[in-house]
Amino acid sequence: MEQERPPSKWKNILDKLRNLGQISPDKTRRTILRRRYYVALISRRLTLIEIILFLIGYLWLLVLPLPRLGQRTYMDENALQPAQVNTYWNWDDVHAADNYLDHVERLRDNNITSAKRAEWLQTELGKHGISASTQNYTFSTSFGIVNGTNTYAILASPRHSGTEAIVISASWISRIGEGNGTVNVRGVSTVLALAGFLKRYSHWGKDIVFVLSDGYLEGMQAWLSSYHGTSQSGLKVDPLELTSGVIWTALNIDYSGHSFSHLGIFFEALNGRLPNQDLMNSADTIARYTAGVPVILYDHLDPEEEPAAYEAPWWLPKAIHDIKEVRSYLYQAKNVARHIGYQYNGRGSGVHGLFRQFRIDAITLYGIPAMGPHGFHAIGRTVESTLRTMNNLLERLHASFFFYLQTGPRQFLKIGLYLPSAILISVALMFRGLGTWVNAGWISANHNSKDGALSKESTWRSRKRPITGTLSVMIAMHAFGAALFALVSSSWFISNIETLAPIAFLTAFVLPLFALVIPSTKSEDVAPMHMILKTANLCLTSTVISIITLMNFSLAAVLAVVLGIPLVISSPSSKMSVRIAKYSAYALLALGWLLFAQQEIVKSVWSWQVLLVWFAPFVCIVYVPLVLQAGIVCLLQP
Amino acid sequence: MSSKPQPPSSSPPPNNNFAVAFCALAAARTWLSLTGFSSLLDHNQLVSSPLTAFSNLKEGIFLFNHDIDPYSGGSFRQSPLLLSLFTTILPSSSKPLASLLWTLNDVVGAYTLVQIWRSRQNVTSSRRDTLVAAAYLLNPYLFLPSLALSTSSFENTLMLSAILFACKRKPSQTVFTLSVLVQLSLTSIIMVLPAMLLLITDPHSHLASPQPIQTSLRKLWPLFGEFSLYTIVLILISTVIAGSWTWIPQTWGATLMLPDLTPNTGMWWYFFTEMFDHFRPFFLMVFSVHLLIYVAPVCLKFQYDPLYAAYILLGILGIFKPYPTLSDPGLFVSMIALFPETYQYMRHPIVTLLLHLHAALLMPLFYDLWVVQGAGNANFFYASTLVFACANGAAIVDALWSGLRVAIGETPEGYVVVQE
Repeated sequence: MEQERPPSKWKNILDKLRNLGQISPDKTRRTILRRRYYVALISRRLTLIEIILFLIGYLWLLVLPLPRLGQRTYMDENALQPAQVNTYWNWDDVHAADNYLDHVERLRDNNITSAKRAEWLQTELGKHGISASTQNYTFSTSFGIVNGTNTYAILASPRHSGTEAIVISASWISRIGEGNGTVNVRGVSTVLALAGFLKRYSHWGKDIVFVLSDGYLEGMQAWLSSYHGTSQSGLKVDPLELTSGVIWTALNIDYSGHSFSHLGIFFEALNGRLPNQDLMNSADTIARYTAGVPVILYDHLDPEEEPAAYEAPWWLPKAIHDIKEVRSYLYQAKNVARHIGYQYNGRGSGVHGLFRQFRIDAITLYGIPAMGPHGFHAIGRTVESTLRTMNNLLERLHASFFFYLQTGPRQFLKIGLYLPSAILISVALMFRGLGTWVNAGWISANHNSKDGALSKESTWRSRKRPITGTLSVMIAMHAFGAALFALVSSSWFISNIETLAPIAFLTAFVLPLFALVIPSTKSEDVAPMHMILKTANLCLTSTVISIITLMNFSLAAVLAVVLGIPLVISSPSSKMSVRIAKYSAYALLALGWLLFAQQEIVKSVWSWQVLLVWFAPFVCIVYVPLVLQAGIVCLLQP
Repeated sequence: MSSKPQPPSSSPPPNNNFAVAFCALAAARTWLSLTGFSSLLDHNQLVSSPLTAFSNLKEGIFLFNHDIDPYSGGSFRQSPLLLSLFTTILPSSSKPLASLLWTLNDVVGAYTLVQIWRSRQNVTSSRRDTLVAAAYLLNPYLFLPSLALSTSSFENTLMLSAILFACKRKPSQTVFTLSVLVQLSLTSIIMVLPAMLLLITDPHSHLASPQPIQTSLRKLWPLFGEFSLYTIVLILISTVIAGSWTWIPQTWGATLMLPDLTPNTGMWWYFFTEMFDHFRPFFLMVFSVHLLIYVAPVCLKFQYDPLYAAYILLGILGIFKPYPTLSDPGLFVSMIALFPETYQYMRHPIVTLLLHLHAALLMPLFYDLWVVQGAGNANFFYASTLVFACANGAAIVDALWSGLRVAIGETPEGYVVVQE
């Protein structure tokens, strides 16, 4: 008895162990059935899933400005300690600034050349005992030659070896009207007066670099690229005689009106980049609590703080816009729309935008032109205290956010709250692409029966999905986009844009019509080309949108809105007239800018050639081919 | 299906076409290497690792020429064989010359791949030759490291040459090439067994007819002996070149001890930056042994087609080796061109392709966000290398599945093949 019991126990365990590794046919059958069930579940509801994804994505884009969605900004880097110092900028310094203002206004009114002006600025900076110098630059672009002279001065840090630096800058042309020629007279005077003022104090642990750049953006681009030793085709620039350490932060002052009522903060950098949020938060805190100036985003007045300046939109009934939430939503929506407008085309919102490409966090403080109450006294104190804050930094700004969506001066969304909107739309595109791919691989055996609805017993045969033809079409379209870009960015095109743009449109419109002569696949065992082209086009578009979200969220959101539904609904038709009509709609979506946005073409090409903003090549080489391929899907024979 | 060798095509036109197309591809690559584009990649960590970077090689050559032991510092980690090659026979002083040399190396690699294809099909030329050559020469994972003059391109060419020699049944050449390869990169040692199995069997596709290996495995012993002999001789030569044994901890030791945590496309660096020091030796051992455990199962499973086993192991090496560059997974991706018989059984090629597309765009973007713009951090880049590893993993899983699935053939109506 004693001998029998243990073996039976062991045998049981061994049997169990043996059975563990083996799967019964019944279990396998269940696995197969379960897998089929779920695949069928998803593929049958694919359209519904897509519609839901699209709806959530688009709704998400609409609710981004909701006041309850965002959160308050906060200081993240403890070293900054904003608004914790006594400021010394006083009425003497304001008087000095006023004296400079007289001179600068005379320079403006007498139409003095850049070189003469720079000479005077250099002399004035030198009078404070700061080493100052000038720098000539020349951009040769498709628009002709742009040249000018920058002035800059370096205040060596009394407490440190000058391995790091802070830049205070003012461009000669103000941002008013996107640099239409208003001179930034008070900004330049502030920098001149600050140079003399800051020299008197010994608490600087970083070199302070004063840059008075010529022009609106081009001067600072020339100065920065020669400071960082980068070369750029078409730019000829004098080497800098004076240099300092690594620039960590920069503050650009734009103050051209008589006085200002609010300080507006502009922060969008080139190519969709953003400065660290701590810099904006410091400037905001300091302006509010040290200088007593209200701070706003851009030049948008908050309806809650300035009810007098608020105008209700005409299309909204009074009863609705009396609700506080609605007013906040509209205000924040205005901020978000302005942000998207600055960011999607990569051009940024001003001179501060040029710094980020060299890893420098920079913002512009913009005095909103008004008849009062603030002036040199307030801006001087703000800049002095902000400099003291930046002077506290022991390492680059890194603690706070680099990915944020500012909905108000003290209100923002984290990346997790805004990114999913565009990503969901790109996922919907990907689902449709993969669904089309799966559909292309099968054909119903009784395909030819004219019953309409397929009987349940219909069998499915797999068919081939050749990709070489589709790939060659796509490569040809993208090469065509590159050629279009070469044409659009040539000086010949830019100088005759009004006549050449419609011609370019017609050419680009006609060329893809070659798709009409591509024969349809004769055999039923080969998937038609339009399905494969649609798959490839949707998958590529989805990838492009989701990758771009991290580089430039606004561009990704615009792409998601413009490309989302149009690309999904592209399909061929048996009627020639319908095919041509559908294609024309896509061609208009792809190339309409050639007809209707010639001013934008000029601006984008200028930004590409001078500031290396990649929006223009992106539109020509990526966007146009993607939309035209959707058009070709419609042209191909079903 | 090419389980049976295709009849040799005797018509000369395809052959001429191949020659013309191959020359055109080579010319295109030469032009690409001489444009200024390559200067953008000089300090890119995706295309060259601390063990393969050209800048490190130049530094080693400089120190060597000035009678300073290049292995006494921590920057030069390439083999003494490369050092002697570049200080004596192949001067690499000028960048254009070096670019041409690297391009030539890639052209040789592409031709070797075409030869492997031909010997697998047992033909002297085929229509697919151009495609195979293009798969090697136009693969961005391969030509970007080559433009950046990463020495991993030489490792790839040596690997392909070893496989070709094995296909042509040339034992001494195979074993010698392998031992040179192991000198350059220690992890390639896992390729020794499949290459030798290939040597004692044949390179033709037997995926459709699996069977136990026919030849006696005893034939492997002399090959292993020869391999050890060559390796010992090469070690001695390296020691004579370097003047001391210090090269061993600096080159092979780096593969095992991971002293340099410069980010790359692989899985190791981030793991070991996060690791507490007292766990380090244990996990170094685990990661190193982990590479070895794949050899036996893969070679056992594909004993009837060792070339396929070599292909799978190259893919595994591309994911899990300690200092990979893009050219390691790139070699696996290009070798897919050798096995058209598996294409129709792949389960998710489009998913793999899309994963690769995402990874290929995300890696440079996140690298730029972290290192250049400073807006991101190491987690961003590591996340993108994980996507890359998933892409390569998906490709290997699909290669394994389709390689085994070929044997079952077309399923009759109403039957499904499942994996248990």
